[in-house]
Amino acid sequence: MNSVASKRLFQEYKHLTTDPPDGITAGPVNEDDLFIWEALIQGPEGTPYEGGIFPAELKFPKDYPLMPPTMKFTCDIWHPNVYPNGVVCISILHPPGDDPNHYEQASERWSPIQSVEKILISVMSMIAEPNDESPANVDAARMWRERRQEFERRVKADVRRSLGL
Amino acid sequence: MAESSLSSINIPQILAVALVGFFAIRWFMSKPSAPGNNASSSSRRGQQVDLTKVEQVAAMFPQLDRRTIAWDLHRNGQSVGATTERVLSGQGLDNPPPSYQPHLPSPNQQAPAVGVSAGTRKDGTRNEDLITRYGLQGRVGGKGKEAELSEEQKRSAWSSDKAARAEGLKKRRDEMILQARRRMEAKESGA
Repeated sequence: MNSVASKRLFQEYKHLTTDPPDGITAGPVNEDDLFIWEALIQGPEGTPYEGGIFPAELKFPKDYPLMPPTMKFTCDIWHPNVYPNGVVCISILHPPGDDPNHYEQASERWSPIQSVEKILISVMSMIAEPNDESPANVDAARMWRERRQEFERRVKADVRRSLGL
Repeated sequence: MAESSLSSINIPQILAVALVGFFAIRWFMSKPSAPGNNASSSSRRGQQVDLTKVEQVAAMFPQLDRRTIAWDLHRNGQSVGATTERVLSGQGLDNPPPSYQPHLPSPNQQAPAVGVSAGTRKDGTRNEDLITRYGLQGRVGGKGKEAELSEEQKRSAWSSDKAARAEGLKKRRDEMILQARRRMEAKESGA
């Protein structure tokens, strides 16, 4: 039993169950392994993602919360900061310390005082407001910048399809 | 006097015996891991597997055991071409001896490596809609109002029972998806 990480993850699970943030459902896929979670994030209102539900998988390292988990959407999501394979690129998921490229403040990056809840809320606001500076999906970023209407049409079509309509 | 001289002779003797014994054991231990094949050192080299090559072959022939592939690569000097040829010629690969135990990651862990097969599997689920993926087909389109969760129910209580917690999480997840679907349907029929 990996006690520190497991205890902390269990506490976070409990907190997210009893007091979940709006539009977020998250928990371990199977309680026997607390290091793999599934999260559902609702598309933020007033964005082309509105109405959609985006499932993602979170994988925690054994030395959590010292090191951050990785997060990967398991659905199609056309977004400048999500790699085509679903991996999310956001500063809160980057290991602690200063960014060697000086793009990000140390305070934006992962630290043990962050939490799963904060990650999911950050990802939700990232969905609403893409960060154009360090695109993970270059094609999506270019479309977002240059052909916004086409970008929104594509996202809306994905959302509709994901709901089986 | 006699006793002390005896012991002063014995210590180096014991050391020598221990040393000889150690090398003898090492020699015996390393010997059986290379049955038939030439030098004992080759078996140690053989345990180091070129994983990318094993994956390449495994991607082409998913029915083959990775250990078998590694063994064939080990014997033909890590040639992917020769192993592929051999499988395609219908000859089949020899079973590796039981002593051949290379370090191969378990199939679940190596998904992101090369995995042509893993890639297609992932894509399969990615393209699936949520209703299909979570098995909710039976619950859409029925009675339009499946009682939306009240604020009270959303803050689901923390159960002390593991199964009840898992059930609660699944229920909240399903409800979230179904609710999104109902809203989208309502919006489209309203528009």
